[in-house]
Amino acid sequence: MDKTRRFLLGSIPAAMALATLPGRSGAQTAAMPPDEILQDWYRLILELVRHTATYSPPVASRAFAYVGITAYEAAIIGQAGPRSLAGQLPGLTAVPSPVGQAELDPSVILQAALQTSVSHFFWNTGPTGQRAMGAMGRKLAEAAAVGVPADVAQRSSALGTAIAEHVIAWSRDDGGDRIENMGFPLTWEFQSGPEHWVPTSLVSQQQAPLLPRWGWNRAFAMPDGSSCGLPPPPAYSEEPGSDFYNEAYEVYDTVRNLTPEQTLIARFWSDDPMLSPTPPGHWISIALEVMAEDNLPVEQQADVLARLGITLADAFIACWRSKFEFDLLRPVTYINRVIDAKWQPILITPPFPEYPSGHSTQSGAAAEVLTGLLGADRAFGDATHEADGLPVRQFANFWQAANEAGISRLYGGIHFRAAIERGLEQGRCVGAYALALETLA
Amino acid sequence: MRQIVVVIGLLPGVALAEGPTVPRYAEVTGQAGISHSYTGEWEQMVGGGAASFDCDGNGLPELFLSGGTVPAQLLRNVSAVGGDLRFEPVESGLELELVAGAYPLDVDSDGVMDLVLLRLGENVVMRGLGNCRFERANEAWGFDGGDAWSTAFAATWEDGQSWPTLAVGNYINHREEAFPWGSCTDNWLHRPAGETGFAPPLPLTPSFCALSMLFTDWDLSGVPSLRVSNDREYYKGGQEQMWHVEPGQPPALYSPEEGWQRLRIWGMGIASSDVTGDGYPDYFLTSMADNKLQTLAPQPEGQPKKPAFADVAFARGVTAHRPYTGGEVRPSTAWHAQFEDVNNDTYPDLFVVKGNVWAMPDFAMRDPNNLLLQDAEGKFHEAGDKAGVASFESGRGGVVVDFNLDGLMDIAVVNRNGPAELWQNVTEGGGHWLALRPASGGINPDGIGGWIEVRQGDDVQRRELTVGGGHVSGQAGWWHFGLGGLDEAEVRMVWPDGKEEPWQRLTADSFYILGRGQAPEAWSPGG
Repeated sequence: MDKTRRFLLGSIPAAMALATLPGRSGAQTAAMPPDEILQDWYRLILELVRHTATYSPPVASRAFAYVGITAYEAAIIGQAGPRSLAGQLPGLTAVPSPVGQAELDPSVILQAALQTSVSHFFWNTGPTGQRAMGAMGRKLAEAAAVGVPADVAQRSSALGTAIAEHVIAWSRDDGGDRIENMGFPLTWEFQSGPEHWVPTSLVSQQQAPLLPRWGWNRAFAMPDGSSCGLPPPPAYSEEPGSDFYNEAYEVYDTVRNLTPEQTLIARFWSDDPMLSPTPPGHWISIALEVMAEDNLPVEQQADVLARLGITLADAFIACWRSKFEFDLLRPVTYINRVIDAKWQPILITPPFPEYPSGHSTQSGAAAEVLTGLLGADRAFGDATHEADGLPVRQFANFWQAANEAGISRLYGGIHFRAAIERGLEQGRCVGAYALALETLA
Repeated sequence: MRQIVVVIGLLPGVALAEGPTVPRYAEVTGQAGISHSYTGEWEQMVGGGAASFDCDGNGLPELFLSGGTVPAQLLRNVSAVGGDLRFEPVESGLELELVAGAYPLDVDSDGVMDLVLLRLGENVVMRGLGNCRFERANEAWGFDGGDAWSTAFAATWEDGQSWPTLAVGNYINHREEAFPWGSCTDNWLHRPAGETGFAPPLPLTPSFCALSMLFTDWDLSGVPSLRVSNDREYYKGGQEQMWHVEPGQPPALYSPEEGWQRLRIWGMGIASSDVTGDGYPDYFLTSMADNKLQTLAPQPEGQPKKPAFADVAFARGVTAHRPYTGGEVRPSTAWHAQFEDVNNDTYPDLFVVKGNVWAMPDFAMRDPNNLLLQDAEGKFHEAGDKAGVASFESGRGGVVVDFNLDGLMDIAVVNRNGPAELWQNVTEGGGHWLALRPASGGINPDGIGGWIEVRQGDDVQRRELTVGGGHVSGQAGWWHFGLGGLDEAEVRMVWPDGKEEPWQRLTADSFYILGRGQAPEAWSPGG
């Protein structure tokens, strides 16, 4: 039993608390350190996102935000230095705190908080996900409590659960709590005019756009969905030589002449729902890899996951607000209509308006936050899709990855250049709000 | 290369001015003597197959129901011809536990139907002994049943072989509790070993959690390929697959360079029929929230066919993506599917078994089966509720078969943790029909891999004779053709080796045995 990893409530300054918590390799106890608990739950979350049908990228980003906030609040319990996100995020009131002078265990707190949070935000996963969550919860609860006196474990578990339930209660009225029909409206009134979005899919469910009201959800760090608004896309025109035509022709020509490297880039960042952890999950995966490699203390990991989750969620709110403001058609619609009736993109065209590119907005936001928290020159290898047979890709820094994610949508034939470039800028704007949050001292 | 019969005109049918004739079904499970359930939890979330075949030689198809954690059951068909459906449980030797599904196949070509049981654990080939008795034949036939979660099956006879080639599809590693994703286990190809049975199985690597397989001659080359429909819930880097299975050659996947197009769905079942009338088989692939109807894409003249398929489900109204009755807006989950002409108007209709996987909240819990009736324009119309087969049980496998030999296709469905269901087709005034059964008298007596063609004027219905597909459910026996308002049709058998029998004019509403080198022989129950 490692007594040093436990603490008395309210008595330990942050620096000391961080110093007493064991690192991944320095643990003197058989109990599982909290950073491993955090990483294990997040690895499972990435699978749950992939295997829960309602978890389109916007919905997934929301879960990442709330689970990340829960993890952060649970990880800083008992420390004087870090600042809670309560009071900084709209509507989030003070999270439950320890009462009196009683010993608590940080691993048990975090484990209980994550188990409660993940079980809630993935309540609708299927039988295999439920089975996996149960197995993970049992395994980690047991591992976290090794050598912990029963009363300490009980008290710590109750506190972790209470923190998670507090965040869950806050989440319920944000506009994204209930998703019907996987996010597709049962009816939809299309705007008239050739520039507007029309369905591109042969899937019946996707004859209406995904989550048209998502941009009006309550935002996390930014004031609201319009906080990072965009100028209009190039004016619609079918005239050869016009800006719009040229943009479309660039997509058409690029896809017809893709290099193997461009094809690989398109597939690497494709991040299709139900076949991957989705675009926000891709960035969570990158963060997990980097943080594990750097052996960061749990508070710092939780801070990164919270602010990354927040900015990804804000990015989808901002992006969806713009998408339904401009309601622009997809390249395949325009190109088939104006340039080549038989042309097809190499990626599946997502079932919602084009401008801006969601992957670009959220990648820009993620890069902004990770650059601010982990460094402007942090090189990394991205192994997110290794199990799916795609190679590890190396990046010199987070913005290089974000820029590649953006241009991948042009290679894939599903976005025009303006949607990519302005999406990345929108993401930079969104990310600044999350970076401005005060967290660790 | 086989000749392609191009259908120019529309097939004749019953009066269709107001859409297809809706058949009428009566739910007769209890009164027919059926009380059975496919039971279990996580390891029985897929599976639950049915099989129909005649094992007592009277022409009436028996019904086999897999049971999951309870023993499987064989029900002898004691229906009066044209009368009410009646079944009696029979001790057959098939009462194994952990059976997920079954396919009838005369493995040893002795004229007595055998049954392949797909199981959680060891698969078992059961040799038919006659009078609905069976015995284990794994050891006698060199069949390695393995130890997996088997969930798909298909069979063919490769050129020159006296024993069939069996393909077995396997699902996830069921021992992976916390992280089953990405644990798909290898599918197997059991090829013949000379004249005595089977060689050790070849792994069909990569495998992506198959839930349906079908040997099918998609390009009419004379050599069937193996289509595999895979569940994207569990694979990593996977997709739908099709394998070259060329005699004497190792199996090889169709590649993008050959024209194969990547498709990733929750593949759960394959149904095949020439829906479009172009002479080539079309494929309905069941999934969740969407289903696909694939037809061979337009091909360049004078070149080998490319395995490229166009999805026409949306255009033809056959996506069956959401419950059409019962009030739920959540999307559907589709399993077994089968094309049959249930109203005898000459157009293949489609029956789809529906049911939630298991407490999967994103999908409909009350998910009715579909009965999609095809009209003269090739569009499908939902009629499950009007016809009386819109069950809200948690469906899995099934068979659409004429149990009482009245020329009307009945339906049996296996439900997970719920009662199996039986519907008798009691439609009055439907179209005419023919029921045909090949009997080669030698190897591959049922002519698997061959085709039956039925011609009325310039219009030809073609059926590929396959073993496999659906969702762990198979059937053997009579092949059914609706004839619409006409009281006769021309018929010919095309044997798997390409030999074409001459066209023969046959009288409607009758049964015929199609012998090799012989004129069709009329058959009547008890005759």
